[in-house]
Amino acid sequence: MIEKMMKTQLFAWVDRRTGAEAIIKSQLTEYPAPKNLNYMWNFGSLALLMLVLQIVTGIFLVMYYKPSAEATFGGFTVAFDSVERIMRDVNFGWLIRYMHAVGASMFFLVVYLHMGRGFYYGSFKEPRELLWIIGVVILLIMQGAAFFGYLLPWGQMSFWGATVITNLFGAIPVLGEYVTQILVGGFAIGDPTLNRFFSLHYLFPLLLVAIVGGHVHALHVVHSNNPEGIDLHKPEQMIPFHPYYTIKDAFGVAFFLTIYAYIVFFNPQFAGYFIEVDNYVPANNLSTPAHIAPVWYLTPWYTILRSFESKLIGVLAMGGSLAILFLLPFLCRSAVRSARYRPVYRIMVIMFFVDVIVLGYCGHSAPTPTLKIVGQLSTAYYFLFFAALPFLPKFEKTKPVPEGI
Amino acid sequence: MTDQANQSRRNFLYVAAGGLGAVAAGATVVPFIGSMLPAADTLAASKTEFNVSTVEAGQLVTIQWQGKPVFVLNRTAELLKQVDGHDDILKDAESKAIDEVQAEWMDTPEKRKFRSIKPEYLIVVASCTHLGCIPLFKPTPGRKDWGNSVPEDWYGGWHCPCHGSLYDLSARVAKGSPAPTNLHVMKYEYKSDTTVVIG
Repeated sequence: MIEKMMKTQLFAWVDRRTGAEAIIKSQLTEYPAPKNLNYMWNFGSLALLMLVLQIVTGIFLVMYYKPSAEATFGGFTVAFDSVERIMRDVNFGWLIRYMHAVGASMFFLVVYLHMGRGFYYGSFKEPRELLWIIGVVILLIMQGAAFFGYLLPWGQMSFWGATVITNLFGAIPVLGEYVTQILVGGFAIGDPTLNRFFSLHYLFPLLLVAIVGGHVHALHVVHSNNPEGIDLHKPEQMIPFHPYYTIKDAFGVAFFLTIYAYIVFFNPQFAGYFIEVDNYVPANNLSTPAHIAPVWYLTPWYTILRSFESKLIGVLAMGGSLAILFLLPFLCRSAVRSARYRPVYRIMVIMFFVDVIVLGYCGHSAPTPTLKIVGQLSTAYYFLFFAALPFLPKFEKTKPVPEGI
Repeated sequence: MTDQANQSRRNFLYVAAGGLGAVAAGATVVPFIGSMLPAADTLAASKTEFNVSTVEAGQLVTIQWQGKPVFVLNRTAELLKQVDGHDDILKDAESKAIDEVQAEWMDTPEKRKFRSIKPEYLIVVASCTHLGCIPLFKPTPGRKDWGNSVPEDWYGGWHCPCHGSLYDLSARVAKGSPAPTNLHVMKYEYKSDTTVVIG
């Protein structure tokens, strides 16, 4: 179809003024992709889909949402009431809001699987270090956007979650109080906080679009890694991205949307994992919920935070656990990329995935002495994993990698 | 234009112009960051008046001051006694760590222990100094009423549900809590025998 379209006079007119044909050829119809990519390579396109869905649903929600903590006659607040109005009175408001709320969780799920793929197959290694680093920036901005967005419904979890996280910054020596004030805009979370979080929640996705553009550009310079983790140069090892991978990605999208739609329509709260029950209680600054936990996609880092008794060390550890992702390409020094040919790394990285899930579980549960120790051990392994990577090549006997595919 | 003098002159102009440009750009950031600090009306000294005689003996009420929760606890003689005898397990029994945990009127060991102008009425900011949750009031000693959320030799006080910080009945933090300091004491004074002005 693309070939046919490119032969039209209209396209020729556009091409002379934009160079569209060269772009389409180099980026799509003649863009070489390894022929052995497995389904783990579907999550990039799914992440892009979720970004678009979040932006579109978000734009429509803003047509009704009101960012104000002013009290209303009903005894709640303007923001809380406007969300309830979207749910009850606005045509299809319930659908668009559930798409957005479930979409946030699905976005993170897809991105974490995308990152897990990178961990397992060594996609962050030379020459894709910068590609990985841009990806980590995307993750941080996503986490910021999610945090800002979570305040907007002005429920109990919104309020107390934001209280806890903004108080984290208070632990920074000297500047801490200043940073907290700049974030909160007052003595405690309140109307000014809600307004600035709304502004930033609108800004961050726009930043994401720009940086995702950089991510895709960087990918198209160094090209995709593959499950074998070897460099592919011969033409017979490659297939053009279009139509082969566009159709495979489309299949992935259809499969993914089936699950997404099921959750949106039949189980949008997802047992309190996607939308926490306490957030249907309007924010009350005089009463803390019995148990505060962030949404599941932030709980691993929350566990790292509370594994330390000193507030400052906890905050540093949490920041460090994210910052260390930037260093991953330089810590991992083995010449072999894929875990398929690295027996020790393979076990380590699978344990790392389990470890992050355990961290997430601990962060989501009410703190008990047992879970605290489990969380501390998991935190230790999280950092040990990264600390061991530089020394791994010294004793790991890698298997011979294949010459080609 | 190829001789050395002109070249270095040109370089100087580049650096000077570029440097000034950077300073100007930096200066432009100031009003934007400044706009994010609390606005004048938010900062405007807000005071809260409260009649402590409305608090029954042994009762805790949470009032609001500058949008922050504040505990007012009416400590009975029995509750005041529970403040004694566990100084060794407190991080800062004397409340000397930082300015926010002390006040000028804390001039005797007695006042540093009770942390209030009138011993019976404890008035402190109710935000846990760890991450700002409001601790739960668990005044009776031991585990009888509270289960294993508190230690076995519990001396009565507050337990923060978020990360398990423990405070005694003078809102002093116990060792082993993630909270770094005692609950903050804000400025307040008695306008009459029972009316207290906070702020």
